[in-house]
Amino acid sequence: MLALAWRNVLRNGRRSLITISAVALGLASLIFLWGFNDGVHNTMMRNLQQVIVGSVQIHAEGFFHHPKLVKTVPDAASVINIIKDSGIDQYAYRLRTFALAAGRETSEGLILLGIEPEMEGQTTRIDQKVDQGRFLQNNEEAACVLGETTARNLNLTLGDDVVLLTEDLYGSLAAEKLTLVGIISSGEMGIDRGLAIIPLGFMQQMTGMQGRYSEIVLQLPTDQLESTTAQLKQALAAKRASYEVLRWYDMYPMMKQWVELENAFYYIFLSIVLVIIAAGIMNTVLMSMLERMREFGVMMALGCGRVKMAGMVVAESLLLGVAGILMGSIIGLALVYYFQTAGIDLSGQMDSMARFYINPVIHTEIDGEHLWDTILAVLGATLVAAIWPSIRVARLEPVEAIHHV
Amino acid sequence: MSDTLISASGLTRYYESGEMKVAALAGVDLTIERGAYVVLAGRSGSGKTTLLNMLGGLDRPDTGSLMIAGDDVLVKSTAERAAFRLHHLGFVFQSYNLIRVLSARENVAYVLQLQGMEKKERFALADHWMAEVGLQGFENRRPDQMSGGQQQRVAVARALASNPDLVLADEPTANLDSHTGESLMALMRRLNEQQGTTFVIASHDPAVIASARTLVNMQDGQIVSVEGKDTEAVKGDTVS
Ligand SMILES: Nc1ncnc2c1ncn2[C@@H]1O[C@H](COP(=O)(O)OP(=O)(O)OP(=O)(O)O)[C@@H](O)[C@H]1O
Ligand SMILES: [Mg+2]
Repeated sequence: MLALAWRNVLRNGRRSLITISAVALGLASLIFLWGFNDGVHNTMMRNLQQVIVGSVQIHAEGFFHHPKLVKTVPDAASVINIIKDSGIDQYAYRLRTFALAAGRETSEGLILLGIEPEMEGQTTRIDQKVDQGRFLQNNEEAACVLGETTARNLNLTLGDDVVLLTEDLYGSLAAEKLTLVGIISSGEMGIDRGLAIIPLGFMQQMTGMQGRYSEIVLQLPTDQLESTTAQLKQALAAKRASYEVLRWYDMYPMMKQWVELENAFYYIFLSIVLVIIAAGIMNTVLMSMLERMREFGVMMALGCGRVKMAGMVVAESLLLGVAGILMGSIIGLALVYYFQTAGIDLSGQMDSMARFYINPVIHTEIDGEHLWDTILAVLGATLVAAIWPSIRVARLEPVEAIHHV
Repeated sequence: MSDTLISASGLTRYYESGEMKVAALAGVDLTIERGAYVVLAGRSGSGKTTLLNMLGGLDRPDTGSLMIAGDDVLVKSTAERAAFRLHHLGFVFQSYNLIRVLSARENVAYVLQLQGMEKKERFALADHWMAEVGLQGFENRRPDQMSGGQQQRVAVARALASNPDLVLADEPTANLDSHTGESLMALMRRLNEQQGTTFVIASHDPAVIASARTLVNMQDGQIVSVEGKDTEAVKGDTVS
């Protein structure tokens, strides 16, 4: 029966080819658009994680929403052992508190982040965002990196003194004078303004927090994010102290929500394309049905049952759909793979706000889930397209069909 | 020795065209014995096709009863009638009998395939019937590569390949020239005699009428006369 359906598809080869091409074109453009979309989204999400936030942060319970200097990670050494045992090699610990930075005439409140330059360099890319001067070096003492907006507000240039005022462990005032060695320009407001990065050891000494850390930042491959988080949560739950293991989107949910919203729009667009594809296939199947009314009548008179007749029409529609899907997938994936390496240069169209998250050259990539959803949806559309024609065929009266003109 | 294949009585079929009620069949009683070769003749509109469709389970009468091969055709569901046609009947239509995308062999084998016969077996049987209707060597031709007469022969081969109780043919020669029509009728007569298959053929073609062993004349939806060598084969309710 499939052979018969296939021959009928080939019978009007030109019309079938046009239909198959239309399906293929629709699917190929959907796949390519997903490739672009996923490329942008995944880059955004990766950039957010890789520049400073990390994939996962481990804190003392409640630290993220109510950060306090003294609320450090309990028993940090054994937490780090757990991390190492999980096979994670990209991790860094930091100390975080609020501070007041004073320049020549003005002062500004900011977040003070103490980091280990080498460890941080293996985990995040914040060091690459330094625009003037340099990033912190190992074993450095009173050196400081500021965001460009803060530096401008404080009217500071490289080599100037920065005075940092903060509370120490006991709540008494601690003040230090540091040298501004680097200025970061990242395109992200939260970094360019209100952030000072200083050596971890220096900060621990300044605040009396030797050997203590506020956060441990982990960098994970996307496909391991969920499993590793669950694994760490489980391991830490066994300990006496309580911790929070937060994924990047637990901390900054906006971007994930934005990506999901955009994907939802894509699915709406997808359904519009599907309606067009289904209409095209249905039109082809109906036309070839009308041409064959007498033949259908003869087949039914000879004793072919209605279910079989309907099945034949469904098979023809499916063949058109599957051929289109094969062709469309090949073209679409070829485009995605080509632009994955070649990239699409959008540097002309990009403003500085987007610069932090979106790279000027978009490399397409496609999420398996989106690819399968799209292919299955097109397959579903071809089946939907077959419903009406197959019902019509099943309802044919052989005598009327034979005398159909 | 009588062996009844078809017994119909009181068959009526009305068509409504506007206010008018047209009786395509106005009470037909008919008995046909196995092995008969019956031609339904009569002017256009006399009800030949309507009666033939009735016998073929393609149409239902408004009143009357119809038994074929001991089966009450009228109580069957649509699916049961399709299965009945598949296993008991063969059809030859006026034209466009064949499935365009199938070769002659595949067309003959189509009914056998629907019956569930294995490919090798059904192709062998199809080839046998192709030879039987004089079309050896044409097995791989597509319908559009054959003449009208050849196509009708393929249809005859298909009708007989499933070894049916009854072959129904509606105007089988209508699209053929008279010579081709005559030889098609000669073929059907020969198969009737050789195989003993019952034929009922509707036509007003003189060549078909001439081939009849039994001739049933129809007029205004009724049987007006039954004539021929084999009159006992058919008992029609003649109207004076
Ligand atoms: N589908 C239909 N709708 C309305 N009237 C019909 C229909 N089919 C047949 N009739 C009418 O029923 C009558 C018998 O028609 P039928 O086709 O059986 O005649 P016929 O003897 O086969 O004629 P012909 O030699 O032209 O094929 C005619 O009056 C015809 O107009
Ligand atoms: Mg007729």
